[in-house]
Amino acid sequence: MRTRNVVVAGVGGQGVILFAAALANAALMSDLDASVSEIHGMAQRGGSVISHVRIGERIHSPTIPEGGADVIIGLEPLEALRSLPFSNERTLALLNTRRIVPIAALLRGPKYPELEEILGILKRFCGSVLAIDAPELAKRCGSARAENMVMLGALAGLGILPIPIESFERGIGETVPRGSLERNLEAFKLGVEFARAQKV
Amino acid sequence: MGNPRVLIDGKPGSKHLLLGNEAIARGLIEGGVSVATTYPGTPASEIVDSLAAVAEEAGIYVEYSTNEKVALEVAAGASLSGLRSSTSMKMVGLNVAADALMTLGYLGVRGGMVIITADDPNCYSSQNEQDNRYYALMANIPCLEPSNPQEAKDMLLDAYRISEELELPVLYRSVTRLSHSRRPVVFGEIARPRRAEFSRDYERFVMVPANARARHVALLEKMEAAKGISDSYPRNEELGDGELGIITSGNAFNYVMDAIEKIEADASVLKLGIVHPLPEGTILGFLGEHSPVLIIEELEPLLEMRIRALANENSIGTKILGKRELSLPRHGELSIKQVALAITRALGRDPGGLRFENPALSRLDLEIPARPPVLCPGCPHRASFYAIRASGIRDAIFITDIGCYALGSLPPLSVGDVLMCMGASAGLSAGVSKATGKPVVGIVGDSTFFHASIPALINAVYNRHRYIYVVLDNMTTAMTNFQPHPGSGLDSLGRPAKRILIEEVSRGCGVEFVKVIDPFDFESAVGALREALAFDGPSVLVFRRECAILKARKAEGRGPPLSIDRSKCTGCLLCINRFGCPAITLGEGGKPSIDAMLCNGCGFCALICPQGAIGGSADED
Repeated sequence: MRTRNVVVAGVGGQGVILFAAALANAALMSDLDASVSEIHGMAQRGGSVISHVRIGERIHSPTIPEGGADVIIGLEPLEALRSLPFSNERTLALLNTRRIVPIAALLRGPKYPELEEILGILKRFCGSVLAIDAPELAKRCGSARAENMVMLGALAGLGILPIPIESFERGIGETVPRGSLERNLEAFKLGVEFARAQKV
Repeated sequence: MGNPRVLIDGKPGSKHLLLGNEAIARGLIEGGVSVATTYPGTPASEIVDSLAAVAEEAGIYVEYSTNEKVALEVAAGASLSGLRSSTSMKMVGLNVAADALMTLGYLGVRGGMVIITADDPNCYSSQNEQDNRYYALMANIPCLEPSNPQEAKDMLLDAYRISEELELPVLYRSVTRLSHSRRPVVFGEIARPRRAEFSRDYERFVMVPANARARHVALLEKMEAAKGISDSYPRNEELGDGELGIITSGNAFNYVMDAIEKIEADASVLKLGIVHPLPEGTILGFLGEHSPVLIIEELEPLLEMRIRALANENSIGTKILGKRELSLPRHGELSIKQVALAITRALGRDPGGLRFENPALSRLDLEIPARPPVLCPGCPHRASFYAIRASGIRDAIFITDIGCYALGSLPPLSVGDVLMCMGASAGLSAGVSKATGKPVVGIVGDSTFFHASIPALINAVYNRHRYIYVVLDNMTTAMTNFQPHPGSGLDSLGRPAKRILIEEVSRGCGVEFVKVIDPFDFESAVGALREALAFDGPSVLVFRRECAILKARKAEGRGPPLSIDRSKCTGCLLCINRFGCPAITLGEGGKPSIDAMLCNGCGFCALICPQGAIGGSADED
């Protein structure tokens, strides 16, 4: 089996690490090897966060090579853009449309691009793009903050990784605190349904 | 690992997704560690954090020490007394502990001791990217370098065995990409802890000069004998087959394997599990059988320098290609791409045929706004910095320190003209104020104050320096995941402990102007700063307010989000241009608006809004 590479990009506090750990646990539940490389500490704190998830039979490098992403998960539009060096013409970009504008873009320097412009760029460089208003969906299960699980559900629902939905659900169970499991699974399911209703 | 109990409940043979640092923690448990110490620092923190969660049940003594030197000494004391111990730290922490480290090898240990250093190539969370394998050479102690979480667990057992065989501490080197990688890890059996027994040995343990001279010779002899251990170490592995040879170790090995696969090269890889002392016989044999031999390692050419010397001593003419010939940098982290290009060139192939980046990317003509890390919404440090700026101290030079508050050096707060290393603010401030005669404000966090500021503060009093020392006390070690410290009133396992107050320590150091202020009491904060400026001598201002994240985790949670009354707001943008909370963004019509998902409800922006336009509950837009 070919190693699958998933870049998860977002903003510190959005649940990038939880997303990546749940995805890796899902792979383990399907008896695959998985690797997550993440960044803690100074590099979080509302800054850009990128996590590399690799799934396959035997993983070596913790990081994904440039141009090597099968999927880019953009938990935030600008961060999806920032991870374009990992894209190739077959990459699927899954985008949460909630924008978090960095202070730096308010004060000086380049401005935050319009969402339409970001989508246009992603479509130019990637094989396919699916945009989701994840917090809006997540609100249906009571917490907009579960947007990361909506995104994971969308990834699972598209069926592009060799991991069945049940493994995803068990992977989430291994990853999130027990008290929030039900809410997270509900958000996940909303994501699955959303993706299944789409044509990518 | 959702539940930390997996570390003690997981059965031998079971498989779990673990962070590299959690795998190290399990390795320590399997190795029968009795005493595990640390000072928190990214990327090492989760080793002891995850041990602390199960320490009581596992019967392990766990300690967040005041700094890395103390941590190393506490662990060394336990090992001298026959117990297996560990101390773990980020790489710069070993500089703090270096004084103890350089002599510990002379004393040696009795119970196995592992010193874990987590290096940070590419400075993801650090002020430098030093390569701590140098310390193994300088202290002349064995150094092991695992390459993935499974090895990081398994090789700890080897480290303890080698440590006890040689009666030396073993340096155990991780890097960010190992410590913060999650991989499946298969558990092994848990060893029984050793029994403590201290027996005197004057010649060995008391490093007066006469004993030290003899113990240095003893250390050199031990490390000569260690070459045999190194040569027979089964984790020095040869993989693959080819005329071309590659010697590598640690995380660099992973890139080598992926690069070879990507470019379909025939190569033989010698992966070293032990990097000091070198397995000389193994390396000489490898050099004799391959040509050329590439040496691929992250950061410094530490294997390369010694392997070249070894080849030279043994008159081996094999072509050795290292950092310079392969154009591999001494900075940053390696990548599959860099290593693939290096091997391609060494094979005499055309690197132009290698494809990595999306070729279309060269046509992307958009400058992507940067998103540096920022102080969190509700962070009390932001209020402190805002008060420092508002106090109008002219010409002030700001000397900041290591912690979340280093982020205050970024616009719009811009409080931070110098930042160097843990606790350096207290000493640097003295030098800058002495040299310039200008007002100097030193800034330090609570945990950093206890870690390394106190001797410099005493120095400031004793040597009549004049500066304002602002201690930002958020009652936790926030940057590294909220570990307790001496001023938090909690011990390492979160139980109540004697609380050591920064103001009392400061007075005890002889500081005559000491005040404690809540930074959300804006008027008092500004007033205290102005008073301190007029004081002739060092002054300490403790700005105390609990970390917003820590507070939000507790029962009281976060406050309801605020909103901006657009009819009152004049669009002066002070809240964005001067205060800079990430929850305040630019809304329609050039007026600010509050992102309810980000707002922590702290209310400080409402306090400083000149129009009184901020308050109430969630914003409509």
